Amino acid sequence: MFADRRIGLALAAPALLFVGLAFLLPVGILLTEGLRTPAGWTLSRFTTFFTDPLALEVTFRTLRLGFGVTIMSAIIGYAVALAVIETGPGNRARMTALFILPLMISPVARTYAWIVLLGRTGLINKAVVGLGLSDEPLRLLFTETAVFIGLLQLFLPLMVLSLTSALENMPADVLPAARVLGAGWLTIFFRVILPLTREGLIVGGTLVFTGAVTAYITPAVLGGAKVLMLETLLYQRVSVANDIATASVIAAILIAMSIATHSLIRRITTRRRA
Amino acid sequence: MMRMLGFAALGLALIFLLGPFLIIAGAGFSSGDLLVFPPQGFSLRWYGAVFEIERFRESFVLSMQLAVGSTVLALLLGVPAAYAMARYQVPGGEWIRTIVTAPVIVPAIIAGLALLRYTVIPLGLPVMAALVLGHTALVAPYAVRVVTVSLTHLRPDVEEAAVLLGATRTGAFFKVVLPNIRNGMMAAFILGFITSFNQVPVSLFLTGPGVTTLPIDMLAAMEFVYDPSIAALSTLLALMSVSIVLIAERVLGLSRYV
Repeated sequence: MFADRRIGLALAAPALLFVGLAFLLPVGILLTEGLRTPAGWTLSRFTTFFTDPLALEVTFRTLRLGFGVTIMSAIIGYAVALAVIETGPGNRARMTALFILPLMISPVARTYAWIVLLGRTGLINKAVVGLGLSDEPLRLLFTETAVFIGLLQLFLPLMVLSLTSALENMPADVLPAARVLGAGWLTIFFRVILPLTREGLIVGGTLVFTGAVTAYITPAVLGGAKVLMLETLLYQRVSVANDIATASVIAAILIAMSIATHSLIRRITTRRRA
Repeated sequence: MMRMLGFAALGLALIFLLGPFLIIAGAGFSSGDLLVFPPQGFSLRWYGAVFEIERFRESFVLSMQLAVGSTVLALLLGVPAAYAMARYQVPGGEWIRTIVTAPVIVPAIIAGLALLRYTVIPLGLPVMAALVLGHTALVAPYAVRVVTVSLTHLRPDVEEAAVLLGATRTGAFFKVVLPNIRNGMMAAFILGFITSFNQVPVSLFLTGPGVTTLPIDMLAAMEFVYDPSIAALSTLLALMSVSIVLIAERVLGLSRYV
C-alpha cells in the first residue's frame, strides 16, 4: 500500500520546498557573502576577523562562557540528578516537571529577573551594602559574571533532564554493589556513575553548549555593549555598520559549531538505538 | 552525608531556577513607581496597568496571531511530510529529514538576517509575512518530530484494513489516521505556539517600525522603562505558559512527545 514512492515524495515536497527556499537558500547566500568580493572569491574576511582584537576577544569570551556554563551545569546537574533519582519514582516525575517548567517560560522574562536581582539597587546589592561588605553598590550588571549566571539559569534544566534520564537507565543495583565492595563515593562517581552516564552527559553538554554560544537575549540584556558575545556582535555590526561581511563570518562560525555538536548528538543517539 | 548534600543541591538548584520568578512576581505587586524588591507597599496597580499600555497590547495581539498562524502553517507542511517519512520508503528519506529539521541547527538570528536580506527585501514582503515565514520555518521541525512520534505508535495495518474495507486512501487518512494522531498534533501545536510566542532572535531583524512582537517590544522597553510594569507583564506571561503546559500535560501527556 505504501510502495509508491512518488506519493511519499509528493507529500514531503511542500515542507521540503518551503524550508529549502524560504530558509536554507537565504542562509546559504548569507554564508557566501563573507567569501565573495567584487574581485572574486576570498578567505580574507576570515583572516581579517581573526586578527581583529575585538572579534577575537568576543570569540574567546563566547567559547569561555560556553564551556564554563557547560562544565558548571554538569557539576550541578550530577548533584541534582542523583538527588532526583533518590526521591523515588513517584516524586521523580514531579521533579522532572519542575525542571521542564522554566524551559517553557519566555527567556525574556527569565533574563529580566536578573536585572531586578543584580541591579545597583537590586536585592543582592542591598544585602551587600546592608551587611557592610561594601560601602557602595557593586557593579554586577553588564559583567561577564552576570551573563554567566543568566546563561546557567537558562540552560541548566537541559543538563538536569538529560542526566536524570541517563541515571534512570543505569542498572539500579550497581551503586549498592559498589558500596558493598567498599568503594568510596569519589571512586563510585568516577568509576561507576560517570562511565555509565557518559552519553547523557555528552547529549546534555552539547545542548547546553550550543544554547549558550548561540544565545542572544542573555548577553544583550545582562552584558550590553561591554560584554559582547558572537550573536550580539553580529547584531551590532549589522545594525550599526550594515557590515554583512562580518555577519557572514560570524554566521559561518556559529553554524559550524552547531553542526558539529548536533552531529555528535546524532551519532550518540543512533548508536544507542542500534 | 552525601545524600544530604544531594538534597541541598536539589533545593538550591530549584531556588536558582524558580526563585527569580518569585522576585519579579513580587516586584510587580509594588504600589510605587520604581522596580524594586522587596516591593514598596502592595497593590495590583501594575498588573492592571500592563493591560492599559497600548504598545504592549498591540504587540501581544500580533504575537498571538503570529504564533497561531505560523504553527498552523507548520503543521500543514509538517504533517504530510512526517506521514510520508513514517509510511513510505521515500528516496533520499534521510536527506529529506535533515533538510526539514535544519532550522533547528541554524542559529535563529542568522536565519532572520538572511531572510530579511535575500527574501523579504528583494520581494518587498510586508513585515507580518516576513515574520510568518521565519517563524513557520523554526516551528516546522517540532511539528515534524512530534507528529512522527505519534505516527510510529499507530500501526500501518489499521489504514490497510480501512482501504480493504472500501475506504479511499484519502478517506482512510482523514477518517483513521488523523483522529489517531490528534493528540500528537495538539502537542505539536502547543510546543510550536510556545516556541513562536517566546521567539526573539529570528524576529530581531524582521520586525519593523510599529509592527513588532511582544518579546521584542519588551526587550526594547527594558532600556527606558524603570517602573514595575515589565515585571508584572513577565509574570503574567510566565503564568500563561505554565498554565498552557500544565493543562496540556494533564490532557495530552505532553512530556511523551518532547
